Amino acid sequence: MEVLTSLGHGFAVAFQPLNLFWCFAGVFLGTVVGVMPGLGPAATIAMLLPLTFNMPPTSAVIMLAGIYYGAKYGGSTTAILLNVPGESASVVTCLDGYQMARNGRAGAALGIAAISSFIAGTVGVIGLMLLAPPLAKFALSFSSPEYFALMAMGLAMVVLLAGDSMIKALLAMLVGLWIASMGIDLFSDASRFTFGQTEMLDGVDFVIVAIGVFALGEVLGNMEKRGEGTMLPVPKGLRNLLPTMAELKACRFAFLNGSIIGFVIGVLPGAGSTIASFISYGVEKAVSKHPEKFGTGVPEGVAAPEGANNSETGGALVPLLTLGIPGSGTTAILLAAFILWGLRPGPLMIQDNPELFWGLVASMYVGNIMLLVLNLPLIPLFAQILKLREYILYPIIFGISVVGVFAVSASLFDCWMLAAFALLGYAMRRLDYPTAPLILGLVLGDSMERALRQSLMMSQGDLGILVSRPISATMLFLAVALLCLPLFRRANTWRLKALEENG
Amino acid sequence: MAQSKWMRGDVVSGAVLAALGAYIISEARGWEYSTQEGPGPGFFPMWYGVAMLVLALVLMVKSAMQPDSGKPVAWSGVARALSVWAVFAIGMGLLKVLGFLLVFALMTLFVVAVMYERPLKVAFAAAIGNAVGFYLLFGLALRLELPVGPLGF
Amino acid sequence: MNIRSNIIIAACAAALAAAPAWAQFKPTKPVEFIVHTGPGGGADVLARFMAQVIEKENLAPVRFQVNNKSGGGGLTAMAYVAEKKGDTHAIAVFTGNWLTNPLTRTEAKFTVKDMTPVARLVLEPALVAVKADAPFKTLKDFIEASKKAPGTMKQSGGSTTSRDNVVRQLLMKDTGANWAYISFPGGGERIAALLGGHVNMMVIEPQEAGEHIKAGNMRVIAQVSDKRLAGYPNVPTIKEAGYDIPNVEQVRGIVMPSGVAPDVVAYYEDLFLRLSKTATWQKYLEEQQFQDGYMKSAELAKFFDVYTDKMRGILKEAGAKVVR
Repeated sequence: MEVLTSLGHGFAVAFQPLNLFWCFAGVFLGTVVGVMPGLGPAATIAMLLPLTFNMPPTSAVIMLAGIYYGAKYGGSTTAILLNVPGESASVVTCLDGYQMARNGRAGAALGIAAISSFIAGTVGVIGLMLLAPPLAKFALSFSSPEYFALMAMGLAMVVLLAGDSMIKALLAMLVGLWIASMGIDLFSDASRFTFGQTEMLDGVDFVIVAIGVFALGEVLGNMEKRGEGTMLPVPKGLRNLLPTMAELKACRFAFLNGSIIGFVIGVLPGAGSTIASFISYGVEKAVSKHPEKFGTGVPEGVAAPEGANNSETGGALVPLLTLGIPGSGTTAILLAAFILWGLRPGPLMIQDNPELFWGLVASMYVGNIMLLVLNLPLIPLFAQILKLREYILYPIIFGISVVGVFAVSASLFDCWMLAAFALLGYAMRRLDYPTAPLILGLVLGDSMERALRQSLMMSQGDLGILVSRPISATMLFLAVALLCLPLFRRANTWRLKALEENG
Repeated sequence: MAQSKWMRGDVVSGAVLAALGAYIISEARGWEYSTQEGPGPGFFPMWYGVAMLVLALVLMVKSAMQPDSGKPVAWSGVARALSVWAVFAIGMGLLKVLGFLLVFALMTLFVVAVMYERPLKVAFAAAIGNAVGFYLLFGLALRLELPVGPLGF
Repeated sequence: MNIRSNIIIAACAAALAAAPAWAQFKPTKPVEFIVHTGPGGGADVLARFMAQVIEKENLAPVRFQVNNKSGGGGLTAMAYVAEKKGDTHAIAVFTGNWLTNPLTRTEAKFTVKDMTPVARLVLEPALVAVKADAPFKTLKDFIEASKKAPGTMKQSGGSTTSRDNVVRQLLMKDTGANWAYISFPGGGERIAALLGGHVNMMVIEPQEAGEHIKAGNMRVIAQVSDKRLAGYPNVPTIKEAGYDIPNVEQVRGIVMPSGVAPDVVAYYEDLFLRLSKTATWQKYLEEQQFQDGYMKSAELAKFFDVYTDKMRGILKEAGAKVVR
């Protein structure tokens, strides 16, 4: 009951015309920067920060948070239409989203992404509202061994992302691990695989690899043939641009799965939305009745990662607001903003600033509805880009990729790296190496190595620390089970074959 | 034209990856494997380097033992893709000299006129249209910083 | 038009009144304000705040535009500043990393010696904190405990060249105690490790710790500072706690490219002196619990030498590979 009263006060704050306006401004800006690859919410919030010093803190928080979760909505657009992941978490959306677009279901894919984002975004806010304090305690019980187990579980997803050859998938993942370890080693200050280049000391930015390998590799692969017609079929009529009932029904479980996994992983300060989207995709595929269809354009393959990506926002705000602990670049800059306004997120935040906390929660419900209303009509508009002729569209993809990479770092060196990764992406396609495991290794490699080394430092070199803690032991068991999945399947096919031969 | 066993994609890429694995191992040997405080910087690379080397060798052997799949490589397609890549790579190298918009226009011109053999008129229109569109959207509307050449654009 | 020229006149008049030589230089176009972190990083937030204060309080006739040159742990930005030799419209925020990183990185092509010191602005003290329900009431308790069971006590912190680890190394050397140092990339994870009971101690910035202390989750057992902070009058500094180790300051300030005339340096030196006197700045320092560390160009040059020597010695003793 108390929650409802507080929420009522929150809505009173959120529905003030000025706050409604700032909420809309935030989610609108968020959508724009989300659509643009490279431009991210962290940079946008940092640049707008000085402008918010004159605003009432509640309005400012509502707007900046709007940018944060609004950007998650926009991230899927280029992933689905052009195979250009707008941010790290949308890499997983590329897998089935882009294939749906190739099958003429671009509008449906965008629609499912928006609906899934809405459902999961709302679930994330509900979680933030009801579960924040107890979940914050849970987040603190997570330490390096648990993170290592979580990353190991994520890495074990490679078996679900592999195509025909498991060896090739594993090799691609190992290359990802190699790229992940480039740069300065946090623990020893040694620089690894930097080839003596200052630019390499911070490692290779994820966006460069993802855009080069996914988007440009794909374009180069398509360039082999001299196609004439339009790029992808775009069916006419609004009806064909929206998901069908059957498609939505197929996504029922994915909506739920994405919402819950995204929120729980979001609460952990050391995880992040990319691993959330990979894991919820993996879970969706593992429990699916037709796992072999994943990667060919199934709607669940879009709904699960997009949902996870969006409910992660609500989760990430839990440690930020109740503990003052940021888990990502964007929440770190939000924390800096809070401090500049003289607000101190922490255990006392909800007590000391109820208006701000509940106003923010209420505004997130409102903002998610605004985003749905804003994004659905944009779908037909965005889908038009696929009507461009191939010879116009391909150079545009090159252009967007360069702009996206340059926007992150303003470094020409990164543009050269982009060219190198484009070649790698093309070679992988040509030689039938799956690209998703490379990204998986790249995203998880760094955190996994770190968590392992932290764990062993804590236990003075005793590997037992990884299995003596219940949460970590459970996750490691799941990881091993996942890795054994293909063996089990193979045994099963042998058994069936044997049965047939006998019968 | 039957391909030699040693020219198959899996054998060649396996060899390249095996070499990469060997390189990673040799680099990792230069870093401490284990320190007084715990695993060192060489710990993780050593493990994935070894895994890469072993898996790449398995891939090579497995592929060399298999009968020819008989799928010929369309070298003309590969040449097309690689020439586009080469133009892109050169363009990235010229960003400093020419600026993004000029490189982007030239790249569009090349793709439209050479790769897709459209009339020059179309190619020029596409190149100018793309460059102007990008300038309006990214440069003016979004105020993004683009690589600028000495000509100021 | 009128207002603006009035401001310029007023600024010039003020400058003239103070020391005539400064009137020779004033910026004529927007000044590039270089930071080594991406948008949202510590130096970036500081620079954007300063640019805001300069504009609001009309301290300069032009705008200060933040330019993020992230990468290479600061080395990219340092190279960028060093290569701007002679540019009178570029300044940069430096931190202690600019002094220590080149010591251990072979990749570094430049040091602060290749730049002109302008002004030191901020000193950031730190606190030694433990979890509130930990048995340690004083720094001595912690050190005795880690002497009893060498290697089992743990401290969470950043990279091995960060102040957290330097303080640890100095304390371990001074006392003969030994405890583990576990690196986490983000401040949030370091705090989470402490509050979750996975490590026993950490060196933390006061503004990061404030809320956790107020909520009763964290206890401060010592201060890494020359004098006690206003907010913690009852907590001894490390020296007062009986451990005679050199204080490791965390500094921030302004440098600019080399090869600029003295009047240019004098202009910026004065600009940041005026900035550091504004009420907004003083309030900011108070909120962040920073100390005003203003220091002029000539003194700062000396400080660079002393600090670099001190850090070289400390890092060598800590077992880091010092390359210059």
